[in-house]
Amino acid sequence: MSISVLILIVLAIAVAGYVMARRRAMALTGGDRRKLHSLIGYYGQTVFLFASVPALLFLGAWLFVQPIVIESRVSSFITPADIPEGGSLDLVMSDVRRVAGGLDAVAAQDGLSEADLEAMRADFSNVRSRLASVGVALGSDVKPNVFEAAKVYRGALKTSRLAMVIAVIAASLAGLVLSYRRVSPEFRARNVFEGFLVALLIGASLVAVLTTFGIVGSLLFESIHFFQLYPARDFFFSLTWNPQFRGGSDLGIWPLLWGTLYVSFVALIFAVPVGMMIAIYLSEYASKRLRSVAKPAIEILAGIPTIVYGLFALITVGPFLRDYFAQPMGLGSSSSSVMTAGLVMGIMLIPFVSSLSDDIINAVPQSMRDGSFGLGATQSETVRQVILPAALPGIVGAILLAASRAIGETMIVVMGAGAAARLGLNPFEAMTTITVKIVSQLTGDTEFASPETLVAFALGMMLFIFTLGLNVIALVVVRKYREQYE
Amino acid sequence: MDDIRLVEKTVNAAGVKIAARGVQVYYGETHAIKDVDVDIADRTVTAFIGPSGCGKSTFLRCLNRMNDTIPICRVEGKITIDGEDIYDKRVDPVQLRAKVGMVFQKPNPFPKSIYDNVAYGPKIHGLNRNKAELDEIVETSLRKAALWNEAKDRLSEPGTGLSGGQQQRLCIARAIATSPEVLLMDEPCSALDPIATAQVEELIDELRSQFSVVIVTHSMQQAARVSQRTAFFHLGNLVEYGETSQIFTNPSDPRTESYITGRIG
Repeated sequence: MSISVLILIVLAIAVAGYVMARRRAMALTGGDRRKLHSLIGYYGQTVFLFASVPALLFLGAWLFVQPIVIESRVSSFITPADIPEGGSLDLVMSDVRRVAGGLDAVAAQDGLSEADLEAMRADFSNVRSRLASVGVALGSDVKPNVFEAAKVYRGALKTSRLAMVIAVIAASLAGLVLSYRRVSPEFRARNVFEGFLVALLIGASLVAVLTTFGIVGSLLFESIHFFQLYPARDFFFSLTWNPQFRGGSDLGIWPLLWGTLYVSFVALIFAVPVGMMIAIYLSEYASKRLRSVAKPAIEILAGIPTIVYGLFALITVGPFLRDYFAQPMGLGSSSSSVMTAGLVMGIMLIPFVSSLSDDIINAVPQSMRDGSFGLGATQSETVRQVILPAALPGIVGAILLAASRAIGETMIVVMGAGAAARLGLNPFEAMTTITVKIVSQLTGDTEFASPETLVAFALGMMLFIFTLGLNVIALVVVRKYREQYE
Repeated sequence: MDDIRLVEKTVNAAGVKIAARGVQVYYGETHAIKDVDVDIADRTVTAFIGPSGCGKSTFLRCLNRMNDTIPICRVEGKITIDGEDIYDKRVDPVQLRAKVGMVFQKPNPFPKSIYDNVAYGPKIHGLNRNKAELDEIVETSLRKAALWNEAKDRLSEPGTGLSGGQQQRLCIARAIATSPEVLLMDEPCSALDPIATAQVEELIDELRSQFSVVIVTHSMQQAARVSQRTAFFHLGNLVEYGETSQIFTNPSDPRTESYITGRIG
């Protein structure tokens, strides 16, 4: 029985519970619904939820745990001799799964019974060609142990499936019966339903929180793995980045960090003044009607996918800067450069700075403006001497948020900044950033065992720490500022 | 009205400082001020009283053209200060506001130091020749606002760190610092406790010797205590205007009497 059918069965049980609960509630009061504690729908909904949600959660948990349990049982069949040179247990286990899947296909195609399959032996029948005939291509002949493991795997999978179907349906029915029996005019279905919903909402938010911890955990774990293979001292203090996939590479973070900071700096130099001026115009000078049109229009910039900005950098800005600035000034001949990526990223950041600063400037109380106008200050004097100083902490927070976006930005720098890890000052030269190198270390055919690939996790960790730090500072600054007026 | 002590105050016969004739104010479609004529004397405290929404604050804000900052607001009629029409095209509202200072309902010191708060006006109008002169302006303004003794040792601390009453006196000092001729006060004590209110009222009485003060207030006791002349506004009309003692003891309009005795408002 497939999972979707199982889900449908559970839902059908739940719907039946809904109808039954309504009938029962109605019958118990003799048709007078005013005698019920709650609206009649709540009785149905409560039974529906108790019959469906726990069973479905149970199903999810089963599907999560099942492969772990089965694989640990099956892997005991594999001896170290079965693992080929340079391979790993994981690879053999994936062979086992493929063989098991192939056996299913063979059984379906040739009409073999379970007993026939059981009788098949890897060392006598030509398993490899039979599996190939149903579309499962194997790299080498199937070893006897692997074949036995595959058969056990199939068996375990089958039993587990059956047990799961029974258990899930039983859970659903149990939920139905237990909640159905509680239905009575005094039953506070409304409150129970409320409590159930709260639990569901908490569960949903836990998913997000736990995922975050999971991601950070895996980053941390792989980074530790990296530092076991590669000395941390070289990673943090070496000034060269030169990965060699045959070994003996230099994996110093400095050229990448420098590139990241340089590009972000150029982007902010461009985005902050323009964004601030937009924010000042929108919040202090623009009429309400203009503001209601202009603000969303600027925020559209924030909705453009960064890959489109990347194209813009690669095709338009890069060649333009090379032909009209870099080459005439003798500063370089590369169309990918820090300047290209920085400018385009600056454009991307404008709406961040302007929109956040606009909100912050608007939060400065009107009484400040009145006070300043009342003393005979002009609008720009008011902005410069009263509004901006009052809004400064918030604006700093906005800029820090923009900075952390710039540091984590990938697509624009992949397409605009180039791939050469270099420590230099010339903004018209190609440089590269942490994010670009993470991409290039992980794309292609790689195995996660060498420092050259694992360095990506360490780089990711550094990036995470960096942006997290900036975000924390920004949040603290913004919060401090908020306290000032409330 | 026994709780209102009417102090005999001499209204010196100084001439008319502000004259308003036929003033109409519209907020969009709403007719907020209807045909108000009033003469405000120099070196006196004039109180505007009336129920909420009667237009007294709106009229006050006409006197330094603060209503210009509200896009939907339209002012008609003629207001002159010392005979000069302040709505004339040649008048720069920014210059006018330096001459007609304003203190607001809620203390609104800038998030700057006490010194910079007071020095703000003189700096933007270039009233001083050097730093020493600026120091002097700050000191005299704070002295006039009766804040010097409390603030002289903490001039570099932020103005927002002062207590509510001190903040309001700082705002008064800030308004005085540009040496205005008229001081407008929009319910200056409504956010203050009784002690701070008493201090500010005392201050208003002292300021009378140098400025023409116009104060909007919700408290009739306050109007009686600090003002020499009182104007009663009702539904956008100026109902009655005259000597404070006369308005409070012997009002000529029945609406004024109803308001003062608490029947409307």
